[in-house]
Amino acid sequence: MELVASLFASDSYTAVKKMMDVSAMRHGAIASNLANVSTPGYKRVDLSKTFEDQLKSQISARDTQAVASAVPRTETDSLSPATRADGNNVQIDRELLEMSKNTMNFDALTNFASGSLKQLKMAITGRPQ
Amino acid sequence: MNVLSATAITASALEAEKMRVDITSQNIANAHTTQGLDGKPYQRRVVAFESVLNEQMGQNMQGVRISEIKRDETPGEVLNNPEHPHADEEGNVQMPNVNIAYEMVDMVTASRSYEANLAVVRNARQMANQALAIGR
Repeated sequence: MELVASLFASDSYTAVKKMMDVSAMRHGAIASNLANVSTPGYKRVDLSKTFEDQLKSQISARDTQAVASAVPRTETDSLSPATRADGNNVQIDRELLEMSKNTMNFDALTNFASGSLKQLKMAITGRPQ
Repeated sequence: MNVLSATAITASALEAEKMRVDITSQNIANAHTTQGLDGKPYQRRVVAFESVLNEQMGQNMQGVRISEIKRDETPGEVLNNPEHPHADEEGNVQMPNVNIAYEMVDMVTASRSYEANLAVVRNARQMANQALAIGR
């Protein structure tokens, strides 16, 4: 059992799982932004920049423990300038673009996760399926 | 994984935008109503949106709802039309303050926002399907 458990705890697999969480949270943030595109005074939310940088450095340092325990968080983006008189700084095209990017990102991540599981299956059964 | 709970936020937006279209259609339908239920010319309705914190989705995630539907109090134009049944002694008719151009712009904005929110649901579904297909 030790062997199988350690396969699931590999650093790339842990990183992929965490990045899928991050991607799901970003989708939520985009959903919130697009929902409030007509709300006066609303400020767009995004994934916390410090969190992203932190995760990136943890992944490149291969610090699996830290990656596994990282909790994605969001922050209000009041730095993006509001182009409208009501103070709302959501730009619908930007958000839609971010959303497509995020969905494709998620797609790539699930493919990677699938790939590593398929490899494992192949190693167990000894034949490609 | 809470891709599908983001749809709670999107659902609130779809509801609010649909209500905006409903109000617009009410305004356009009553563009010539010179006597409403209160006996006065129709006053156009304006919707106001406010965001609602959606705690189950996580910090900062906000849904949207219609906080109030206000009457626009600006007086409409006065037409001189003595044949009109609602004309006063001088033959003037107080028309509603509905401006069709404003209403059309509002309607297009609302339907574009609606489309954007539908795209969010579509993407959420795609992501959830991808996640379900892991390992297949």
